[in-house]
Amino acid sequence: MKKLLTVIFIAAVSLIHAQNLKLIVNNYSTTFDFHGTLSAHNFGGGCYPYVTTNSPAMVVVPANANMNNGNELVYANFKDQYVNSLYPNASWMVQLSAATSIVRAWNHASIAPGGVISANTKWSSSQFQMYYAGTSTPEPSFSGLIGEPQDPCTGAISNISTPYGDVEWFNITTGNVDYSYLQIY
Amino acid sequence: MKKFLTILGIAAFVFGYSQNGTLIVNNYTPYDFSGYIMANNFAGGCYPFLTSSAPDMVTVPANANMGNGNELRYENYKDQYTSSLYPISQWYVQSSSTISVLRPWNHAAIMPGGTISNNTKWSATKFNMKYAGTTNGVPGFSNGLTLAGNTSCYTAPDYFDMTSGGVTNSAEIFTLTSGGINYTYIQLYTF
Amino acid sequence: MKKTILLAAFAILGLVSCTNEGTAVNTVSSMKTPQMENFDKAFKSLGEPQNRPTEEERKRNTSELSDRRKALLVPASKELILSTGVTESELMRKTGGDMSQIIVWATQIYMKKSEDIRNNIKAEN
Repeated sequence: MKKLLTVIFIAAVSLIHAQNLKLIVNNYSTTFDFHGTLSAHNFGGGCYPYVTTNSPAMVVVPANANMNNGNELVYANFKDQYVNSLYPNASWMVQLSAATSIVRAWNHASIAPGGVISANTKWSSSQFQMYYAGTSTPEPSFSGLIGEPQDPCTGAISNISTPYGDVEWFNITTGNVDYSYLQIY
Repeated sequence: MKKFLTILGIAAFVFGYSQNGTLIVNNYTPYDFSGYIMANNFAGGCYPFLTSSAPDMVTVPANANMGNGNELRYENYKDQYTSSLYPISQWYVQSSSTISVLRPWNHAAIMPGGTISNNTKWSATKFNMKYAGTTNGVPGFSNGLTLAGNTSCYTAPDYFDMTSGGVTNSAEIFTLTSGGINYTYIQLYTF
Repeated sequence: MKKTILLAAFAILGLVSCTNEGTAVNTVSSMKTPQMENFDKAFKSLGEPQNRPTEEERKRNTSELSDRRKALLVPASKELILSTGVTESELMRKTGGDMSQIIVWATQIYMKKSEDIRNNIKAEN
């Protein structure tokens, strides 16, 4: 009986986990590298926990790295991205309130998949700056805060259009999985 | 010889036209079809949802169909512009009920093989039939149509008909799918 | 190999003779094979009164044509496939008699042939 309940419990937790958002960044620009933070937060009222990339804070997705060539960024959750992603993040800045923030390693128990923080945060935004491909030269006009729109926690917008390229953020639900897409053109 | 043609046949089957999701509009009526062309996510959630924008209502003239090679045929959001008889230069792309953006036919966001293309299928139309060569609508011959199973995303039947003066005008939308290859047909009839 | 060259030669001869005629205007309709025409007619016939979807068919929650109506497209689809040199037994072997598969295969052949015709018309003009 205990075994059955354990199995059911694990299954239930996995189901919940499977419904959390995955983040995909597709850089279709051939001119610019994407440098940006990637953040998630609680959307259920109040903004905390608020989790942001920390090492590196600005993740680099190079020019022309996207699903067409298998070089897109995929973060399934705070932990597995370290092992699976082409652009791993070794630690996350976790704010549990406006006053408290702490750095957690990718494999810290508090941000494990299925745990309280993971279960209560969704990918929300990126503060980004585009750089000329392969250089440390930014294009000041090609930058901004992109993410879920009408989000009082971030103030992000979902579409940014510049003479150098466009950026957009949207969600697609496939089966019971939600994907957040950040796409650069 | 036979072997040669067989190989050709198989090659065409495997390689030639393996684009997913081709839309075909066959107008078998003496009226011009004027309609929005729509596509959306079928796999859960309705978004992205695309609607023709420029033009918003596409015209497929009276009696334009596969029989005379004048059918509307769209393979994807991009290539239709250069290969179709009825090109659309701009699409209205809704990524949610509150977010929408206009995309030209060749924008990377809607390119074949990209995220939006991979997650949407031809799905619906809202049309008015018009007396050929005029802007006058055929009374009653207008409706929405969407593929069965899509009514939570777009409220419309997949078949419509109306009889007037002994003539029945009808319209339907259906798919023919096999091995990952999908054709969506919108057909209009007057019998 | 000889047979292939011979066929190519006839094809070229055919094209050349078409252009030499000059007065005849080639349209997609006039250049279609009888099998392509029958394929077209089959799609149109879906709108005939007796071929329209029934109340019961409309209650299904699938967008695929019903079996009854697919059957209206199969004979012309088969003829079109066979006209490319595929044998009846090869056709059955590859499709197992699956109606959707037969119709989709025929559609691809039809699309390819239509495109070839369109390109030929462009080349002549």
